[in-house]
Amino acid sequence: MRALANFYREREPAILGGGFILSLILAWQSVPSLVSLPQGISLFFTTPVEVIKAFHQLVVQNQIQSHFYVSAVEFIVGLALAILVGLPLGLVMGRSKILDAMLDPFVTAFNATPRLIFLPLLILWFGIGIWSKITIVFVGAVFPLLINTYEGVKNVDRVLVNVVRSFGANEWQTMKTVVLPNSVPYIVVGLRLAIGRALLGVVVGEFFAASRGLGYMIANAATNYKVDVVFVGVTIFMGLSLILTYFVKKLESRLSRWRPETAKNF
Amino acid sequence: MVPCIQASDVTLTFRPKDREAVTAINGLTLEVARGEFVSIVGPSGCGKSTFLNVLLGLLKPDKGEIQLNGKRISGPGEERAMVFQEFGLLPWRTVLANVELGLELKGVAADTRRKRARGLIELVGLTAFENHYPHELSGGMKQRVGLARALVTEPEVLLMDEPFAALDAQTRDLMQTELLQIWDRAKKTVIFVTHSIEEAAYLSDRVVIMSARPGKVKEVLRIGLPRPREYEMRLSPGFNEIKSRIWSTLKEELVTRIGGDGAQR
Repeated sequence: MRALANFYREREPAILGGGFILSLILAWQSVPSLVSLPQGISLFFTTPVEVIKAFHQLVVQNQIQSHFYVSAVEFIVGLALAILVGLPLGLVMGRSKILDAMLDPFVTAFNATPRLIFLPLLILWFGIGIWSKITIVFVGAVFPLLINTYEGVKNVDRVLVNVVRSFGANEWQTMKTVVLPNSVPYIVVGLRLAIGRALLGVVVGEFFAASRGLGYMIANAATNYKVDVVFVGVTIFMGLSLILTYFVKKLESRLSRWRPETAKNF
Repeated sequence: MVPCIQASDVTLTFRPKDREAVTAINGLTLEVARGEFVSIVGPSGCGKSTFLNVLLGLLKPDKGEIQLNGKRISGPGEERAMVFQEFGLLPWRTVLANVELGLELKGVAADTRRKRARGLIELVGLTAFENHYPHELSGGMKQRVGLARALVTEPEVLLMDEPFAALDAQTRDLMQTELLQIWDRAKKTVIFVTHSIEEAAYLSDRVVIMSARPGKVKEVLRIGLPRPREYEMRLSPGFNEIKSRIWSTLKEELVTRIGGDGAQR
């Protein structure tokens, strides 16, 4: 008894959180056996067990795997391109007045505009295959990365720049030893935003025009009233978002070992 | 003999974009001998730190020049190193990596610079803390790291910009004593900027008193106290006399500054 109480006390948040989700799922599962749903509603209703069955079937048919593969490629390639472009561009824009002045109107205009606006155009240009999705992921993710990196560079401590310059550091060494490490917390925030935008790009892009991918799977299932398949897709996206958030947090704490505890949650 | 540092008629004006130009130093002339310990005191905003930054090579004067061993200073160089007021430690680097910085930027091989850095960390008594990050250290320890970092490239001239201003009184006394010991052993030329008359008098061979902005040398005072300096000297009547002489010269400038500067602050 004592051991059980201790077991509970040590894991209280996990037990309460997990227990609540579990009871919600149970409640959901028991709805059809408690009340008889009118036909108009039961057509669009499903239960957790049916969702699991649908998931199992889709896995057996190798459908989930092939849709997931397409979405994953779009997400990873688009995000990788956004990092490759946004990060260096943010760094140089923060350090060079000329580039800042040249590119600032462009960046501000694009950042203020909802980037999904470009989707029809991108589909005209790149077709309904993965490249239109990669580009929409890219334009969604590149700006938060660029802007946050830029902010980080602008907030660099002048004294620290003077310290390395007093040791004869050139611009590249100043970047490497002070500007970049100083920007890391900002870059991580940018990455977190960028991941959200990238997922949004994948889903909406595939809703809009695609023949593969998890977003396409959801949209297509909804059109055919396959509510259980829709839930399979939604659950997968939820799971992916949770996993990605977890990895960003891991990355953040790894990169901020040097910071005082109080400053870490910003 | 050529003096170690020879500043002649150094003048520098800051021209901020949307504010009025400010002449920080105007016609500053000063000579410092090799191995000398010289303090600079003066009213706030008189250009003491600006002068150090010109010496360091981070700022270029509009007029005049500073020569080091007969050669004009045109940029940072390894004969000079600065100890910064708020320590200026890179917070994401450990003590060891902070001290290694100067050697790393010069491209010294990793094991050589590690060895040199460890030697200096030992000199300032922080061996047990070489893997700590700056936020885990006290103010006094941070400035010891700052000192070790400045010494690692074996500079001839040590520039110190109010290095002990952020420390509590006791730590400050302790650091002053340690600095004098290191200076005595390493035979560096030291230019030490401070607000504290007592600190200037206790540490220095000469104290330079600057005028209010735009700053130039108002008076140079030779401190006749014997070396090595002992803490007890601060309690002697002679020491008090030195302090009051510095103070009386400085006071005129403080009055000028408060009178003429009211509109700008």
